[in-house]
Parts: sequence; C-alpha cells; structure tokens
Amino acid sequence: MRRFLTACLFMAVALAAGPAIAQGITWWEHSKEWNKKHPNMKVQYEFFAMTPYFKKLSAALSTKSAADMFTVIDTLLPGFTTKNVLAPIRPGWLGYKDLDDMKKAFLPGALEGYIHEGKLYAVPPIASVFSLYINKDHFKEAGLDAEKDYPKTWEDIAKVGQKLVKRQGNTITREAFDFAMHSSAWTMWYMEALTRQHGGSILDAAGKKCTANSEAGVKAMEVRSMYARKHKISDPTVSVGTNALPADDVPKGRVSMFISHAGSVAQFGPKVMEHIKVVPFPQVNPAKPVSIVYGFALAVNPHIPEARQKQVHDLIKHVMANPKQWYDKTSYPFPSANFLQLPGMDEARKTRYLDVFVGDIKTGVFVTRSPHFIEIADAMHRAMERVVLKGEAPKKSLDQACTDIDRALAKK
Amino acid sequence: MSRKALPRWGGRLTTCLTIAGLGLVLLPYFWMLSSSLKTGSEVFDLPIKWLPEAAQWGNYPDALSRGKFPTYFFNSAVVAFAVMTGNLIFCSMAGYGLSKFRFPCREACFRLILSTMMLPLEIILVPTFLVARQFGLVNNYGGLIVPLAVDAFGIFLMRQYIKDLPDSLIEAARLDGCSEFGIFWRIILPNCKPALGALALLTFRDNWDQFLWPLIVASKDVLKTFPLGLAQMEGIDSAAYHEIMAAAVVGMIPTALVFLLFQRAFVRGIALSGLKE
Amino acid sequence: MAESYAPAAKVRPKAGFDDRLPLGAARGERLSLRARLRWAGFLFVLPALLHLLTFKFYPMIEAARLSFFRYDLLTPPVFNGLQNYKAVWENPLFHQSFWVSAKYMFGVSLPEWFLALGLALLLNRQMPGQSLIRLAYFLPIAMSQIVVAMVWKFMYNPLGLVNTLLGFVGVGRINWLSTEETALPALIAIGVWRGIPLFGVIYLAGLQSIPKEYYEAATIDGAGPWQRFVHVTIPLLLPTILFVMVMSLLSAVKVFLNPLVMTEGGPNGTTRVLPYFIYETGFAYYRMGEAAAASMVLFAFVFGLTLIQLRLLRQGGVE
Repeated sequence: MRRFLTACLFMAVALAAGPAIAQGITWWEHSKEWNKKHPNMKVQYEFFAMTPYFKKLSAALSTKSAADMFTVIDTLLPGFTTKNVLAPIRPGWLGYKDLDDMKKAFLPGALEGYIHEGKLYAVPPIASVFSLYINKDHFKEAGLDAEKDYPKTWEDIAKVGQKLVKRQGNTITREAFDFAMHSSAWTMWYMEALTRQHGGSILDAAGKKCTANSEAGVKAMEVRSMYARKHKISDPTVSVGTNALPADDVPKGRVSMFISHAGSVAQFGPKVMEHIKVVPFPQVNPAKPVSIVYGFALAVNPHIPEARQKQVHDLIKHVMANPKQWYDKTSYPFPSANFLQLPGMDEARKTRYLDVFVGDIKTGVFVTRSPHFIEIADAMHRAMERVVLKGEAPKKSLDQACTDIDRALAKK
Repeated sequence: MSRKALPRWGGRLTTCLTIAGLGLVLLPYFWMLSSSLKTGSEVFDLPIKWLPEAAQWGNYPDALSRGKFPTYFFNSAVVAFAVMTGNLIFCSMAGYGLSKFRFPCREACFRLILSTMMLPLEIILVPTFLVARQFGLVNNYGGLIVPLAVDAFGIFLMRQYIKDLPDSLIEAARLDGCSEFGIFWRIILPNCKPALGALALLTFRDNWDQFLWPLIVASKDVLKTFPLGLAQMEGIDSAAYHEIMAAAVVGMIPTALVFLLFQRAFVRGIALSGLKE
Repeated sequence: MAESYAPAAKVRPKAGFDDRLPLGAARGERLSLRARLRWAGFLFVLPALLHLLTFKFYPMIEAARLSFFRYDLLTPPVFNGLQNYKAVWENPLFHQSFWVSAKYMFGVSLPEWFLALGLALLLNRQMPGQSLIRLAYFLPIAMSQIVVAMVWKFMYNPLGLVNTLLGFVGVGRINWLSTEETALPALIAIGVWRGIPLFGVIYLAGLQSIPKEYYEAATIDGAGPWQRFVHVTIPLLLPTILFVMVMSLLSAVKVFLNPLVMTEGGPNGTTRVLPYFIYETGFAYYRMGEAAAASMVLFAFVFGLTLIQLRLLRQGGVE
C-alpha cells in the first residue's frame, strides 16, 4: 500500500506571499489531475508557510524523513548539493537527451542556479527577478510621463524622486522610492546587483574571500543609502515595520517607486495594476545591464528507491508540462525558452509586463553561490542597517561585514 | 483582605489603578478586534483608523473557511486537553513526591527535572524528533501529545504549593489508614485547587498555542494545529491581515473559556475546604 | 499507581498512633514505614521522571554531545574537540547576543516580579464584576504568541497605534523596531505585558491558598493592612515568590518568537537574543555543533542562576 508519492511544498510568507496561495492552488490542481490519471499512484502533498517550511525541511533532511519531492530555493543549493540530500535530476527521465538539451529548452542561464559540478539538482517551475514598480498616477500628478520619464538608472531615481516625494516639514509623508528591508535575502539581492553593476563582486572568484568592501562595493552601498541619507526621498524606517509585505506600500500609494518581484503582479491584482507600470531593474549603465534572478525549484529525495525516483520525475514532467496554467495563478514567469511565444500569452505580455520580467531574467545572474549564503546575507544586512539607519560610513560598515563574512567562510 | 479593612482612599486608589491598568492591558485586544472587523485595505491605513467604517462581520466566516479550520481547532483542543490532563496528574504527583517525602537523591531528581527547563525546544528539536520516531510517535496524535505530557514547569509549580501544605494533614490521613495514593488523591489534590487551576490554565494555553513541535512531528494537513493554520494564513497575502485577526479572535475563545472554568478553583480553593492548620 | 500502594496500606499496623512514635514502635515496623514512604515518594516522582528523561533529558545530553562535534545537520557528525566552544567564544556576535539576552532577561523579569504581585493583590480583593475584571486582566495569557507578535508589530509601526497615543502627550514619531536604542525596550514591553498576567495567575493562586484565619488573627492582634501584608502575606507567599522569580527569568531567557517575527534580531543585532543566535547558527547557518556549544553556555548560565536563586532563598529560610 505504499503507493504514495509525497511532495512537500510551501506557501511563502515573506518572499512571495501573494502568489504563494496561488502556487498552492496550482499545485493542488496539478496533483488532482495526476491522481486522476494515475489511480495507483496518488500524490499526497503537504503545505507549509515559508519560514516554518524551511525549519521543517532542515529537520526532515537531517532525520532523512523528507518527502519524495520537495521545494528548495536556489540559494540553499550550494549548501545541499555536496551533502547528498538532493538526488541529481536525470534529464533523460524528463524527456531530454541530456543536460545540454534540457538547457536549450530553458531561458539562457535559467538552470545555472541549480547546477553543481555538471549535474542538475532541481527543476525550477518559477524564475523570479526584481523589477521596478512605478505608480503612474503619482507620475502624472508630478507632471511626468510614466511611459517616457521612468527611471533607467539609479541616478534617474534620485532625479525623478525629487519631484515625486511629499514632505510635511522634515517628515516624509509619501516616499518617492524605497528598498524593502525586511529580509536579509532581499538586501543581499540588491547589494549583489548593485555591486556587480559597479563591476565588483561580493566574494572573490574562488568564493573564499569577501570582496564586498572593494571600491565597487562601497559605491553600491552609497547608492543603497543615498535616497534616505543624501536625497531625503525615502524614509528607511517606514517600510521595515509596516507589515509582513513591504510591497504593500505600493498599492496603498505610500511609495511611488518600489522594487519587487514578478509575483507582486498577482499579489496586487488587476485593479491595482491599472495604476502601476513595471519597468526594468534600474542600472548603473543601462548599456550593460545586470540584474539578479532567483527561483524555487522541485528537488528529489535521494533516499528513495530508483524506481520511485523515476516516478517523481514523471510527476515533475507532468507539473512542467503546462507552464501557462502555473503562470496565470502566480504571475511568476516560467523559465522555458519559448515561454513568451506560448499560445495565449499575448494578454499577459500586454497587461502583466511579462516582457519586462523576462527581459530582466535574461540579463540576470544568480546570487553568489556559497554554502554560507544566509550568513553572508545577514552580515550584509547588518552592514546596510548600520549605514542606512545609523549613518555609519559605507567603507567602515562593509569592512565589518567582510570580517564577519570571512570568519564564516573560514569554517567548513 | 476585605475591602472594609482598607482605608477609603486606598480603596479608591486601587479602583482607579484597576481601571487604568485594564486600559493598558486591553489596548492590543481592542486593536485586534477592530482590525478583525475592517476591510482588507482599511487595516493598513496610515495614520491608523480606530474603528472600521462599517463592521465587516463577514471576515469571520471568510477567515474560518480558509484551510481546514474546524480540523485545526479540533486538533488543538485535543492536544491542549490531553496535555493538560497529563500535566495535572503527573506534575502534581511528582510535586507531591518531591515535597513531602524523603528519599535518596531527591534533590538530585529535583535538579534534574529543573534542568530540563533550561533549553528552548529549538536546540533539542532534532534529537527529540528522533526519540519520538523511535516510539512511533510521528504523524499521529500520540506524537502531538505524548512528548509534551509532562513539563518540569508544572512539577516545580506543584512542588512549591504542596510544600506549603501542613504535614499534619498527611499524617492524620495516614493514621486513618489511608493508602499513599489515597492521601494524594483525597487530601493533597483538593487542597491545591488554586495551583491546579493555574497549572491547568497555563498548560492549556501553552499547548493550544503549540507551533514548532506539531510543525516538525506532523505533516498531514489533518493533524495541523490552530497556530499552524494561522501561520498558513499569513502567507496568503497582505490584505488577509483582517482575516488573520478574525481567526485569532476566535482562537482566543477556548483559552478564555478554560480560564472561566478554572476561575472557580482560584476563588474557592482553600476557603471552602478549610483544611489548613 | 494506586495498586502499588494498596497492599502496603493493608499491612500497615492498626495501632497507627504508636506508629508515629519511634519510642513505642518496634524497630522493624519503624523501618518498614520509612522504607515504604521512601518508595512511595520515589514512585510518585517516577512517571514524570521517566518521561522527562526520555523526551527532554536525553535530547539535552545529545545536544551536549554534539557540542563536541562538527555537525551540519545533513552529514554525519565529526568529532572536533573544543573547536565549537572556541568558535563561539571568538564570535563577537555571540558576545553581543549574550548581553542582549541578559538585558532582556532582567528587563522583563524585574518589573514582572513586582507588577504581577501588585496585580494579584488587586484582583484578590472583592469587587463588583470580579470575574469579568479578572478575565480581562488575564486575556494576554490567552492570546496566541504569534498573534501577540503580529499585533504588536503593527502597533509599533512608526505611524501606528503606539506613536499615535504618544502623540497625544507630545512625543514625536519614534521608529520603535528599527532604532537600535528602542528595539529591545519595545520587545521588553511586550514581554512584560504578557508576563504580568501569567505570573499574576500564579500569585493569585498563592494568595488564595493563604487561610483567611491568618488575616483574621492578625487583625485581632491589631495589625493594619501593611503589617498584615508584611507579616502574613509575604512569608506565606514566599514559595510562590521564589517560583515566580525563577520562572520569570527562565521564560524571559527563552524568548524567541518575538525577535524572530518582529525584528529578525535587528537592527544590527540589537535584539538577537541567545536563543535566536542559537537557532540562526543551527538552522540557518547549518552549524549545529556550534549552536549546541552556545546552548551549553546558555544552559550553564541559566541553570547556575537558578541554583543561586534557590540557594539564596534557602538561606533566607524559604526552602
């Protein structure tokens, strides 16, 4: 009677709260279809909110009691791949000749975050990226044309922002722009994008040493903090404590420009989106764009028998077979090469800024691969807090971050 | 301490204090209730709105129809009630043994018991899970209940109370030919009603609110407890905050009811049994 | 359990009165009573003891063992001696967390000791609507931890309820949770808010167990309310006071959910209490060995403190 596949998914809390329920529904529909087609092989699925999910996943992997298939986030992969907690994905079982053949079916680079030493460890039904959400009404009100005047660079944001910000005395009542600062992972994504745009990196090429305090890193931190400290068009403390979802400031009109992920389109809903335009992630040099992609992917438990692993692959194939259904619910692009050309996607390209997101995914790279990702992100987050909230000098703060990061990297 | 005994100004002062304190204590509740009746967009309106424009009673059925809330409530109730019962019985027994008997290593036992209170569950999570799995206590009610059925907190609490009961009570019963368990059951328990009431209330609350352990030990949706259901709602979207608050209000009712139930224990306690020296 | 005592009760000598008098009782009988009581006491403790040994103590020993291993949760542990302790000691974040925890612990429990007693005294009086007032005061106990964190987080919003109220008395906009100086006090306030009713219940139970006759006797002797409080209430409440002192410290030092939900240990680590540090090291950074070493330090600190409290109070004649 052990004819059950177990799949462990989550509903995201902080990172992808809106679309998460949609992911849940989609997943449920998928497994219902599957169960109909395979009466002898039912899928039991488990859902958890994201923060508790990762706790549960750690405990489950540690005690070898994980589900047959479970969700991972790309940043966790480097910590997992060397430790035999994920089974390598076999492209053959998914209907591809080999990994290279499979890569061709996806957007360029879309699988890179899940590959370790030439092997793929998870299959992403979701690729996400950060793009700039702007409030069209606020632009109009300030005498700007959202179609033409939207910011392309970080400097543009400062310039446009001076027209958009609203103050009462010294207090900002409507922010022109803000970064979310509720999560160290988000901080890391911005900081890495900014550092790379300035030609630097967070770690050296070998991943053994922190280089975030280089000139490029300091410039990145200056950009990260200038709207609050220099231009006074954002109040860093407002969006921290507001609620679980800092992006909520956008539909409320409390901020005119905000960086968020593709899932926010579904989260805000079509009514709010009528007032919002999404434009590409701001750059230092728009001619050489860099953005950061991330994603959630399906991984296979290595401790189950081979035959069962094959069945899980069948399930993954089944899930990946209908990207449009997935996308409609979540508004996260599906990273397949032909995604934009799929039948029925025209509407989404018009109303849900799909081209912008896919464009940013194409210029995107995955965040620094390191088994110490969370520790690095936390150190960068503290550095950012010291600069943005306390006004510490970027160089000094980043030196401290690098001391913390190097201490972590020195460990096995 | 009857009211008459206090000077009049003291009485007034305490009444004022009572009311002022009440305001402070209840403020978050007011906020919770008011939020639970707002529309999704009103909740995060800033500056704040004290009251909703129109009370949205529909939030309550909406909230409770998300996920399997009746199941989550049922599970939490089963867990809280079973764990409470276990604690009431075993902790009062142990508390009695530790306070009114002399046996070798008694102090060592007490310290050992105390020591189990020192570490948060997070630290011993993985080994505890492995022990539970060894006993087959995974993905079932047993797993949700048994590992929590005794807590050092309760033993410590009961020991402190029973310590204070006069020895003559016990000795008299022993002379009357009462068995040792009979003494415990008929003499000790009725005399520590206030403590049992407090213990019942606190263990019920803690276990109604159990989050981390059920998360780790149970995976099936039908075994999820109320706080897990609540955490799941948090993920839905920011606008559902009003529904989360509605679910939270409903989630408080059982503990409040348990308080009302055991409140009699506080009030009557010794006053009626009158068995003190 | 009842069965094991029943036979013993039957063989009990009928001349119970003599039984209590060592002089009049035969030596054998006296020993058997003592032995019997010894066993009875032990058997009363045994079920709880076995349970705690299995589900709490063994995992703790396991944690202690792991503190000498390099363990990432995912691969088998490797012995590495005292390396984890060294790593923890050399980690400035651990030191920061230790002091944050110490501040939080005393910041929460000191006010609790006094305010909870005050609350219990207040609620122990007869007054109209007593049960309703008690219920209202004890409501913070009933609020789910996660809801507490969510509601307070929203109340602490720069434009939220707390600042709005403070605005009435002319206090400016404070960003409670994102300013290094205010984040910890903000969390302490929540701890106190939720802790006072909890310990109030326990004090109230203690007050209820003080027989009325004591007060009546004291009143007849001409004692005023203050004297009754000092000479009757306090001495008889001492075991409860001891319990509350120990428990409030213990529960404060274990705080975890509020920093997790409300501040994630920030800003700049100012609310990263030790349990959060341990959790982060173990479950986010996958360094379970170091987390275990840090928890042993936490254990030694808290257990030491508890034993000192017990000792001090024993010297004070309570124990």
